[in-house]
Amino acid sequence: MAQVIADRRDIDFVLHEQLDVEELSQHERFAEFNRKAVDLIVSEARNLAVKEILPTRADGDRQGCRFDNGRVSVPESFHKVWKTFNEGEWLAMTEPVEWGGQGMPRTVAMAAADYLNGANFAFMMYAGLTHGAGKLVESFGTDLQKRLFLKKMYTGQWTGTMLLTEPEAGSDVGALSTSAVKNPDGTYAITGNKIFISSGEHDLAENIIHPVLARIEGAPAGTAGISLFLVPKIWVNEDGTLGEPNDVVCTGIEEKMGIHGNATCSLALGGKGKCRGTLLGEENKGMRAMFLMMNEARLLVGTQGLGCASPAFLYALNYARERLQGRHLLKTFDKNAPSVPIIQHPDVRRMLMTMKVYVEGARSLLYYVGRCEDRMHTTADADTRAKYQGIVDFLIPIAKGYVTDRCLEVCNLGIQVYGGYGYIREYPMEQLLRDCRITPIYEGTNGIQAMDLLGRKLGLNKGKPVMDLLAEIQAELAAAKALPATADVAATVESAVNKLGEVAMHMGAAAMSEKLLTAFAFAHLFLEVCGDVVMGWMLLWRARVAAQKLAAGAKEKDRMFYEGQIKSAEFFGHTLLPITQGKMRSILAAGSAAVDIPEEAFGGK
Amino acid sequence: MEILVCVKRVPDSAENEIEVKADGSDIKREDLVYSVNEWDNYAVEEAIQIVDRVGGSVTVASIGSPEAEEVVRREMAMGANNGLLLTDPAFEGSDGRGIAAILAAAVRKGNYDLVLTGAQADDGAAQVGGMVAALLDWPYASLVNMIEVKEAGVLRIGREIEGGNQEINEIQMPCVLSIQTGINEPRYVGIRGIRKVAAVEIPVLKAADLGLGAAEVGRAGARVKRADYFVPPAGAGAEILQGSTDEITAKLVDLLKAKGGIK
Repeated sequence: MAQVIADRRDIDFVLHEQLDVEELSQHERFAEFNRKAVDLIVSEARNLAVKEILPTRADGDRQGCRFDNGRVSVPESFHKVWKTFNEGEWLAMTEPVEWGGQGMPRTVAMAAADYLNGANFAFMMYAGLTHGAGKLVESFGTDLQKRLFLKKMYTGQWTGTMLLTEPEAGSDVGALSTSAVKNPDGTYAITGNKIFISSGEHDLAENIIHPVLARIEGAPAGTAGISLFLVPKIWVNEDGTLGEPNDVVCTGIEEKMGIHGNATCSLALGGKGKCRGTLLGEENKGMRAMFLMMNEARLLVGTQGLGCASPAFLYALNYARERLQGRHLLKTFDKNAPSVPIIQHPDVRRMLMTMKVYVEGARSLLYYVGRCEDRMHTTADADTRAKYQGIVDFLIPIAKGYVTDRCLEVCNLGIQVYGGYGYIREYPMEQLLRDCRITPIYEGTNGIQAMDLLGRKLGLNKGKPVMDLLAEIQAELAAAKALPATADVAATVESAVNKLGEVAMHMGAAAMSEKLLTAFAFAHLFLEVCGDVVMGWMLLWRARVAAQKLAAGAKEKDRMFYEGQIKSAEFFGHTLLPITQGKMRSILAAGSAAVDIPEEAFGGK
Repeated sequence: MEILVCVKRVPDSAENEIEVKADGSDIKREDLVYSVNEWDNYAVEEAIQIVDRVGGSVTVASIGSPEAEEVVRREMAMGANNGLLLTDPAFEGSDGRGIAAILAAAVRKGNYDLVLTGAQADDGAAQVGGMVAALLDWPYASLVNMIEVKEAGVLRIGREIEGGNQEINEIQMPCVLSIQTGINEPRYVGIRGIRKVAAVEIPVLKAADLGLGAAEVGRAGARVKRADYFVPPAGAGAEILQGSTDEITAKLVDLLKAKGGIK
């Protein structure tokens, strides 16, 4: 059987040839992570993913989670894998060793996550949510909170969640009504109802730690009055022993389109007036804490998207190589011509190439964001750190919003390559599409990502992040233009980059003018063209490295891979980027019909 | 107890499309993902468990190209104490006996009480364990699925035999055992284990270090040579039963009855 989660050669290429991850081991913080260690980590993540986690993907989808009288059971196959996963200590790969983490570079963790999420991201959500909740405790917890919770969470003994959403407070978190009242002992009594809580209740671990957003009585309205609390499912005494069950009741789980293996819970807090929590961080600073965690959470969602798109591409590729159907187009009229594998049909090639470029571009972008974070940890220079922080901040809405939109498209194309077989359950394609469909929605819808990019990130620090990013892109353009093999496509990418500069100026100005509504009606298209240009940059970067390797006399076994990199850049640059130019013309034309149309004129009444 | 476990780097059949080269000399190896031979994992796990119980150390040895070092390191990350890489261009093209001669030479250089191999390799012939024992003149048991350490240099071992039956033997150490899957559940390698062995130097032994002459091993010493490698053409005579599981079962029972397979 061919590879089905992620192409190992491609992962190695991004880690070592594009991003030079080995350089990190020259810094004290990452000294342990030399080439051999990195390769072993990726191999073992793959091993665990292929042999243990992957078999739970279809199984978890079919069986789903079950709710019975306040209790939730996860698919049976998850239990053993959860144990194995935690024995290998994969939950807190990048976290400090003293709290049970492994201190790994983020770039390497991205590669491991590529395999782990690609095997079954519904399963991995139990780990992902725990990691995020742990990160909140690590960043904002008191010494006591860290001592009580952190190691148990980072080692997967207890799991975590994030309780934000309420029926009337979804994208608008500031509208939440869960309340907190201070008790005489310093704890808080929490009362409210939370919905859509991933991993909110389950039978994988003995305790679940809920970070909860709530408003302390008398606090200001909106986001300025929100505080963060730590509410354990079972109370944890100060000596670390478990106490009484807390008043947190799961009142039901959702029947969802996908990610059936992950329990999406409604939780009633304080229904009997006995839900207790401790303040995490400062009063009324809950949203600030959330924002600090947001980059990481959104990057994870991008990884989940890739976790669907990468297998979809590989399955489709394998299928197209094996499935015999129809004669070769050049032999249409030859009745004796044999049926050919569908990979020989031009339209199937169009689909496979589209899938290939987005999977490769997304992989490079996601790992690159990780690489920027690692750079921040390995430099003593505050300006360099600020520069990479800015680039990460700017890229996050793209790494979440753009990447998940494209990954969904890849899954959709994957079904199309399979034809009717893609639409039926016997094959893995329809599940990948269903699972992937949540990624453009949660952790801030892609509409919110677009508004974040336009409203916050574009003008951040007077536009310095976007200028720094463009400088990085310009450096790559210069290198790629100097090589015969990539000069043409570099010119195409350069033309798109230059046009994007104009579009960004236009959007920045429009967003602060009386045309604000029209500007925001184009925010999503702006996110899309920014993403397209970033893809062009990443694919050009890959092609330039590949061209250099070919020119230097690559080994036979690498030739086809490098050739494929150059073709990816050419396909993207010459076939897809011209469409981006059209999208940019659309933005500059700033048609205001979507804003101007009266609500009644939408019709349907 | 000092234990040597022999491991092999093989194409990982879980995620590889194995194709034969056009000239029939080998499979196409360029794009394959490699890992440690599955049977060998059970042998390493068993060795680690024995040492956990009675003390001693586990050494993992592999013959192969310099890339074989990755499987040695991997098994050390799993918990083996030491590693040995046996690599030399002179080893290329060795037949089973040649491989056994290299391993036997490595065994002689140490002070081992027990040598374990996997029962077979994904791409092998299940022959090396027995030959190592013969070359060393040590006792040997194959298809071992249970090991108990008894007093005074004796092991009590279970062997899987025909029909799922179990045979129990006592065997004198030093000895060689080939390990059957199912004897244990091999642990997965975690990040902590990898961090521990990432910077360890793995000793490399070449033919000269092992006192082996070029004529004894490799292509020159091989007395078994592969003549061809091919995928057999699809034959006729097979009947593919179709229908629901119940229908297929019913048809199968009818067929078995008709052909005298069952009464």
